[in-house]
Amino acid sequence: MGKNIETKNNSGVDEGLVAMFLKMSPEERLKSNDNAVRAILELRNAYKYQKNAGNES
Amino acid sequence: MPTNIKKTQETNLSAIIEGLINAEVEFILVGGLAAVTQGAPVTTMDVAIVYNRSPENISKLFAFLKSIDATYRRPDKKIIAPKEEDFSGMGHALFTTRIGPLDVLAFIEERKTYEDLVKHTIKIEFRGQTIQVLDIKMLIELKRKSKDPKDKQRLPVLEETLRQLEKKEG
Repeated sequence: MGKNIETKNNSGVDEGLVAMFLKMSPEERLKSNDNAVRAILELRNAYKYQKNAGNES
Repeated sequence: MPTNIKKTQETNLSAIIEGLINAEVEFILVGGLAAVTQGAPVTTMDVAIVYNRSPENISKLFAFLKSIDATYRRPDKKIIAPKEEDFSGMGHALFTTRIGPLDVLAFIEERKTYEDLVKHTIKIEFRGQTIQVLDIKMLIELKRKSKDPKDKQRLPVLEETLRQLEKKEG
């Protein structure tokens, strides 16, 4: 197991994640969001497909 | 892994922004994507804009919406396309388009319109062009007053982003 370094502030926000995003350009941030949206939609579709397949069998 | 999943649309939120720029629509990027562009590590599923309600701008916006097959987002299956006159009032129009969801807003919290918000924007270079984005301070101010649970949930992330931005700028 790796060493768990706590980077969350009092409100539970991951400060390291914020710092990582701030290093990107605005365009890179938008691209990262686009990729996240695509991944979410793909997972949702996969879930729906599996659920429907389960209902059919 | 399933391979025969039908994709109804290819979501590309950046393409919506680029399309608005190319169509010369005057708008301010607000909501989640405004936060994303300024460094907040949040994910948002739609583009939200506040538009200038001048007749000329409404015509440009309407033509752009037609070009991306915009129809009103509805809980039922009715397909309703927008009409140009829908945008002259003080309303919210939430669309599904072939490149992703787009919220076209005449105003946001406290009925702030394009004219009210334009002085609270920053200019961001995007694909060689400039877009106006609602600045993170104003985003935070509005979210603090919001009753939407999603806004409340995001607020600490926005506040931490602003804290680090201010620290960086000294």
